[in-house]
Amino acid sequence: MSTATTSSVWRFDAIGTSWAIETAAPLPAEVRDEVAGIVARFDRDWSRFRADSRVAALASGEAASIPLPEDADAMLSLYGELDAATGGAVNPLIGDALARLGYDARPSLVAAGAPVPAPRWRDVLQWDASTLRLSAPATIDVGALGKGRLVDLVLAVVEPAAGGDVVVDASGDLAVRGVPARVGLEHPYDARRAIGVATVRDGALCASAINRRAWGDGLHHVLDARTGAPVRAWAATWALAPTAMRADALATALFFDGGPELAADWGAHWVRMATDGRVQWSPGFDGEVFS
Amino acid sequence: MIRTTAVPRPARIGAALVGVAGIVTLAGCAGGTTTDSAPAPAATTAPSSSTGTGATGTDSGSSSGGGAYADGTYSASGQYATPESVETIEVTLTLADDVITDVEVTGDPQARESQEYQSRFIGGIADEVVGKSIDDISVTRVAGSSLTSGGFTQAVDAIKADAAA
Repeated sequence: MSTATTSSVWRFDAIGTSWAIETAAPLPAEVRDEVAGIVARFDRDWSRFRADSRVAALASGEAASIPLPEDADAMLSLYGELDAATGGAVNPLIGDALARLGYDARPSLVAAGAPVPAPRWRDVLQWDASTLRLSAPATIDVGALGKGRLVDLVLAVVEPAAGGDVVVDASGDLAVRGVPARVGLEHPYDARRAIGVATVRDGALCASAINRRAWGDGLHHVLDARTGAPVRAWAATWALAPTAMRADALATALFFDGGPELAADWGAHWVRMATDGRVQWSPGFDGEVFS
Repeated sequence: MIRTTAVPRPARIGAALVGVAGIVTLAGCAGGTTTDSAPAPAATTAPSSSTGTGATGTDSGSSSGGGAYADGTYSASGQYATPESVETIEVTLTLADDVITDVEVTGDPQARESQEYQSRFIGGIADEVVGKSIDDISVTRVAGSSLTSGGFTQAVDAIKADAAA
């Protein structure tokens, strides 16, 4: 394994987490500006944590429809695959269920009551070439794959400018071009340890786990849309795919029955760790699991 | 260390661990507010469909004062029905400083369906994954759950402050 030749790291915070973009040479100011613009647009379209976003207008009922955001078709189409594969466990209208458990816009991190299932999104949410509309107010949350989508968008701008080795690392979700990256799979109960290693070659690795966006009494951010309650069986997932959006989506699906079948359909590799410490991985996964 | 005597261990056993896993889910979570409480019996989080659930907590005399959960060993057993059989498992966890240091799963899953599922879609299963120190494995980066920034971190800090007050 050769070591990364990237020597310049640009760090910033966006969409609620830490980002690092590594390139051989510092990115020109105009490229950074373009990245900042993409992030700002994505946040303005999709953030349920700001009152002036597009999805906030739909959630409040202020608007019943909005001009179709740029990434809506790509993301919602993939939600359709996640929904079908997991029997309805993954749903883009999960926002109100998250808010009810305390992960609201402030966030309060105080549950308002027992979990409530997400609305049946295919009945409520429609989109066409120009418009996205809801038949009743509901909070769209694209957390199952949105960060991966943004990693792909950022990489598309950075890669031509970098002209070589690139890593776009959005803390848990990352995309790599050029020199492969050897990535530790963080133990969900002990961040000083890794349960394995995966190598990412001209593709993406996305991880999801229940340990950080968690706020006591078993509450965390990975909900089963059918119940609105946090998942219990799986503690952490990792998925490898050509795009970060697909890897992110698969990392979400792997918290549920049907995730491994979806990965097989996509030809993607994965690792997941149960809450009791057992680990599974995909047939042919060529990384390491420390067992 | 994690040991198990379940042979084989089908994928669907994960669903049966729901009750016991309730404890595990909490371990290491930020914002726990049950400091210094007695060991939480697993029975309180056992699935309602389980029968014969018995839980014991044996506090080993914790020296950690600040953890959300008392150090000790926790055990629970339960049964669940599959389309083909009734499965019985027993799980024992050991917690130290809110980290699981040992998991033992004992069971004898019967369902053939589970084994077939495993062979088609799951390449391997490891019973013991304690992991290695990140300093020792020569990686350029680490992937886990997303770091939190801004409002979320502040809100968790506020909850911790309230809990400590």
